[in-house]
Amino acid sequence: MIRFIVRRLIVTVFLLLVVSMITFGIFFLIPRLAGQNSYQLASQYVGRNPTPSAIHAIEQKLGFNEPLVVQYGRFAKGIVLGAHYNAGPDKTYCPPPCFGYSFRNQQPVWPMMMSDVPVTASLAFGAALLWLVGGTAIGVLSALRCGSVFDRAAMGIALAGVSLPIFFTGLIALELFSFKWPIFPDLQYVSLTQNPYLWARNLALPWTTLAFLYAALYARLTRAGMLETMSEDYIRTARAKGLPERNVIVKHGLRAALTPIVTIFGLDLGLLLGGAVLTEFTFSLHGLGLFTVLAIQNSDLPEILGVVMLAAFFVVIANLIVDILYAVVDPRVRY
Amino acid sequence: MKRSRTIPLAAAGAVAALGLAACGSAVKTPTPSRVAYNAGNTSVVNPSAHKGGTIIFDNSSVPDSTDPGDTYYANMWNMARLYGRSLMTFKSCPGKCGLQLVPDLATAPGQVGANGLTWTYHIKPNIKFENGRTVTTTDIKYAVERTYAKDVLPNGPSYFALLLTDPKYPGPYKDKTPGKLGLKSVDTPNATTIVFHLRKPFSDFDYVVSLPQTVPVPPARDTGANYQLHPVSTGPYKFRSYTLDKQFTLVRNPKWDPATDSNRVQLADKIVVNLNVNADTIDSNLIHSFANIDMAGTGVQAAARAQILSSPSLRQNADAAPSGFLWFTYINSKVKPLDNVHCRRAVEYAADKVAYQTAYGGPVAGGSIASTVLPPNIVGHQKFDLYEATTKPHGDIAKAKQELAACGHPSGFTTSMAFRSDRPKEKATATAEQQALSKVGIKVTLQGYPSGKYFTNFAGVPTFVHQHDLGLDIGGWAADWPDGYGFLYYLTAGEAISPAGNTNIGELNDPVVNKLFAKAVATTDTAARNQIWSQIDRQVMSDAVILPGVYAKSLLYRNPNLTNVFVHLYYGMYDYASLGRK
Repeated sequence: MIRFIVRRLIVTVFLLLVVSMITFGIFFLIPRLAGQNSYQLASQYVGRNPTPSAIHAIEQKLGFNEPLVVQYGRFAKGIVLGAHYNAGPDKTYCPPPCFGYSFRNQQPVWPMMMSDVPVTASLAFGAALLWLVGGTAIGVLSALRCGSVFDRAAMGIALAGVSLPIFFTGLIALELFSFKWPIFPDLQYVSLTQNPYLWARNLALPWTTLAFLYAALYARLTRAGMLETMSEDYIRTARAKGLPERNVIVKHGLRAALTPIVTIFGLDLGLLLGGAVLTEFTFSLHGLGLFTVLAIQNSDLPEILGVVMLAAFFVVIANLIVDILYAVVDPRVRY
Repeated sequence: MKRSRTIPLAAAGAVAALGLAACGSAVKTPTPSRVAYNAGNTSVVNPSAHKGGTIIFDNSSVPDSTDPGDTYYANMWNMARLYGRSLMTFKSCPGKCGLQLVPDLATAPGQVGANGLTWTYHIKPNIKFENGRTVTTTDIKYAVERTYAKDVLPNGPSYFALLLTDPKYPGPYKDKTPGKLGLKSVDTPNATTIVFHLRKPFSDFDYVVSLPQTVPVPPARDTGANYQLHPVSTGPYKFRSYTLDKQFTLVRNPKWDPATDSNRVQLADKIVVNLNVNADTIDSNLIHSFANIDMAGTGVQAAARAQILSSPSLRQNADAAPSGFLWFTYINSKVKPLDNVHCRRAVEYAADKVAYQTAYGGPVAGGSIASTVLPPNIVGHQKFDLYEATTKPHGDIAKAKQELAACGHPSGFTTSMAFRSDRPKEKATATAEQQALSKVGIKVTLQGYPSGKYFTNFAGVPTFVHQHDLGLDIGGWAADWPDGYGFLYYLTAGEAISPAGNTNIGELNDPVVNKLFAKAVATTDTAARNQIWSQIDRQVMSDAVILPGVYAKSLLYRNPNLTNVFVHLYYGMYDYASLGRK
């Protein structure tokens, strides 16, 4: 198992390297291939009606006039060794992992991202708990009562959950529960350590909105898995042996049906930790999703690179954890 | 631009009360004014001297910088007055009164030297920074020097480098002079006198020193790119905290002396600015009083607009404010066949101005149909209508065809139109004009480009424009200061054409226009100068390089918990330096 984890972690480093190269290439190489020169690139980061000397100053500072390999090398070096940056009166040191300085506000990217991680993590873990428990439970009950009114109603709602985009359900939820009936008024993120009650109260709507989408998916997946599993021969054998129905369902049926759920849960959670863009945007939560939107709006390459690599890291780690969990869920799996 | 006349009496009373509402220590118990739709355009709504409370600003975006020397956003120029004082400023009052330039740190407007090349200002001797140190002209000179350091502070205007005698000054961070005060074009003979040396006469220089870039910066406290996190205050408020992209909080600055400042108040205890708040949520927050003001100042979103205009109780708290923007289409004078003025005039006649207005939100939320380049809120504006924009707003097909015949293309021609693809209003405008121009045989191909690179890579790069036959390019403009130079120069002066980031996309290089600009900047008589701006406007319209669309308006919502609320015509939004809290 340990060898497996170490091997995967080494692969992760290479994967992140490749991701950084691809992202760097997309934002730097492609514009150049399309005929854009370093002067034009630099002019995006100066105010209105800049003088040519102002553009040249930015071009030089951001290193756009250097070969692409040199620019990438500087970026990669910063991650490993840190970098110095001209902040005006002094040169400031950005310790590793230094993802560079934002072109937009000239602040180091890494601390800005890290300050957003708790928001996204709070949102993702809270919603994940809701949708995992809710979606799986509804899926199991629907499968056990296949064709019943409950099953039809649950699957109908699930269909709505999958179909309705978050910016729609989110805005409706806000309008109803934050403004019309102010049960959750004046929503602003408050950290868990600062005030646990306000943290939970202000995240309740985003959690529910996000979970509504995912729970629907998980309910349908679980239902399909359970229906298939519960018709297997070993389930009939278990019942014939006289096992209590609860044990048959939970220990034999659900456990087997969980494998694909765990797989997709890992992917979903990993992706969400990289930023729940729509939910954060709708509820004005300053997490990695909103950070990403701003970075893209401003063509802020260091920020984009940072957030892409962080998201990739989360996905890879979440998958690693899922692979480990396989061994727990399915005794046949060994590493 | 038309302004509502539903509240003249209330306006008159409130205008009279304005002095107190906007006069720092002079705030007395004012005469209440009536709350009504558009009341904020011409009067002070809810005038009050009540002190205390917190004003909550929501902003759907983030400032380019909170450093007064490094910002180019109108809302930040408005906001920066809360913690920074420049040499000159715009008077805090509603209506055209707000376009008056008045001394702020200075004791009087600049004294111009005999040759027009030196401008001298004396500053009030008892202005303090938030730390208690007295402001000297050296601090202002240092602030001006910072505007040259574009590698560190890239966002702000570049006027000082363009106008002063040493354009190659590297900025204070590369300045080897002791004290880093090596900018030779600015002298500070004593602690209260500052002299600017210009390369050539520039009669608008008082406007230039009204920019927040003359807000003094104590050299010892300058942290360069990080100065935005805590600019040292000279205004009624100072920074208490700032979490980038999230929130900043201002609190009272006890060192601010209201006796020296007649354009700001210090009524609220605290000002909280929430950043990156969903735009629709901001509107709901304002309506439900979870927030007091939308910092962006560009108006409510479509959903709230409908809600506000259909509800009398909400509508009375709204103002359709002139935003100062002109939405228009450049007509490029170098792209064939639009290099022929008659072809350009055919476009002017054929365009459907009502469709233009509709695309921008209609007469209430979008604005009035424009017939000139200079909007009505710009000093020097004179109304005229060369192409029947207001008399035949759906276009004059007959005259368009006459012009087409005169340009040698009686059955029309083909060209392309650029617009910002992520701006639905521009896309709607492009589609509407495509249809309107097709009626006279002008076939337009639409080309959408991302707004972030519109000027740097596409419409603002003349070679790209020529190669891609972009004869028509949609744009919008607001002035750096409210006179003809501030509005027209970068749009129409031959000198303003640049290889990238070009804003004279029509590529107009008309000797008549250029001479008029040269004459205007050397004319110190204001009335005479204002006449020249109108002449330039007429000449540009005669050259037909700009198809005016809409003098823009924004539907602003005035939260009832605010006091001393009015639209400042220069900023095109509420005056942030006058607000208080009930």
